[in-house]
Amino acid sequence: MKNALPQDVRDAIAGWLQTGEIEVFIGYEAGPVPLRATPAFIRKPEDVGRLIWDATCENNLAAFLPKYRGKKVGIMVKGCDARAIVGLMQEAQWSRENLRIVGVACPGVVDPRKVAGALGVSVDEIEDARLDGDGVAVDGRVLALADVLHDTCTHCEGHVPAMYDVLFGTYDGEDSEPDYSHVRAMEALDTDGRWERFTAEVSRCTLCYACRNACPLCYCSQCFVDHTMPRWVNQTVEPSDVQFFHIMRTFHLAGRCVGCGACTRACPQGVNLRLLLDKLRLDVAELFGYEAGVDPEAKPPLATYREDDPNDFVM
Amino acid sequence: MSEPTTWEPKILAFLCNWCSYAGADLAGTSRIQYPPNVRVIRVPCSGRVNPIYIVEALRQGADGVLVSGCHPGDCHYLTGNYYARRRFALLQRYLEYLGIEKGRVQFSWVSASEGARFAEVVTKVTDDVRALGPSRRLNIKAARPAVLEPKP
Repeated sequence: MKNALPQDVRDAIAGWLQTGEIEVFIGYEAGPVPLRATPAFIRKPEDVGRLIWDATCENNLAAFLPKYRGKKVGIMVKGCDARAIVGLMQEAQWSRENLRIVGVACPGVVDPRKVAGALGVSVDEIEDARLDGDGVAVDGRVLALADVLHDTCTHCEGHVPAMYDVLFGTYDGEDSEPDYSHVRAMEALDTDGRWERFTAEVSRCTLCYACRNACPLCYCSQCFVDHTMPRWVNQTVEPSDVQFFHIMRTFHLAGRCVGCGACTRACPQGVNLRLLLDKLRLDVAELFGYEAGVDPEAKPPLATYREDDPNDFVM
Repeated sequence: MSEPTTWEPKILAFLCNWCSYAGADLAGTSRIQYPPNVRVIRVPCSGRVNPIYIVEALRQGADGVLVSGCHPGDCHYLTGNYYARRRFALLQRYLEYLGIEKGRVQFSWVSASEGARFAEVVTKVTDDVRALGPSRRLNIKAARPAVLEPKP
């Protein structure tokens, strides 16, 4: 298999499983959907050969960690996934000693929507597509990988994880500055324009909650949308339910979202949640000088305060 | 649907028990006049106000929301309003970014001895919201087309 993990990495994972250092290793394996690898949960050393790594490994596997709280787990992380684990450590959801991390230098993952867009079909109509060197072979054509990377990846702030036990792969390019042009463009609109933009973006949402499930930091054991007393959100066609859900879910991630883009990649309707979350990341940086997912020892910005915090918005 | 000409803004106010609620009380006992558009919910601390309450208030038909607590440094629980301030700074910017009109959601610090100031705050919020008109965004009670158009 071209995309099998290097032998030394496989040996390391098998060793951890053998010695009981970890109960389960969370990685990727080939899945049934073109251009999307499937999360794999490896419990036996002999199954390590199933693990793969390539540009279809788009899930943020840190989203599974809260389900294994208290256990010893191995996990494969990209740069962005490692930042999410930092967030979980900050919030005392996970301790580093219970984790064995295989880091991978990630050049970016494929956005099947861009592939579909290049072909002029819908994403469900891609039946046979595979990675082919630096391209995606689909429909008798080869698209350059660089043209179909996910938007979060084209402006990746850290291709190489900052935290790992074993690292493989190389990334030759440079990390980018964060790109907030989509936020700035929305800010430039007037109030009516911004409302129009926001409601149009989330109007495609069917309240499937895939964004919440894919998010490594949406780990509340009872999400506010599942509350019945009071019932905050109904799963109806009422636009206000959808708008309310997105406002509150994203606001819960203020100061916590690391910008991995897992929610946007998980959305079956193609709602660009980065338009909302990146605004919060930008404001948290501007107001509190804080960046999520960097320092495991730092206090999350909404769990602390300074006496000289901005006060001019208050009457 | 045209608004009845008698429309008056409905403003929901979350007042902390120790300062702003007492300030409102003082305004009352001092016979200071302020607009009757405000409906008060007393909370233990401005830090108790979950942002979800504010957005839900807009959804349930409030034309404006005011959250008021102790001045920074004077919190009965020492730091509750400092935490609240961070949350509200973000929330106010965020709601404006999403197209909720500036002025619908406002914050103030009013102490127990500032009855006149409470009246001023309520007057200003009421004037601001009156100028904006009835709240339609997020409002489940606002009139809207009965049939949703299919989205591409």
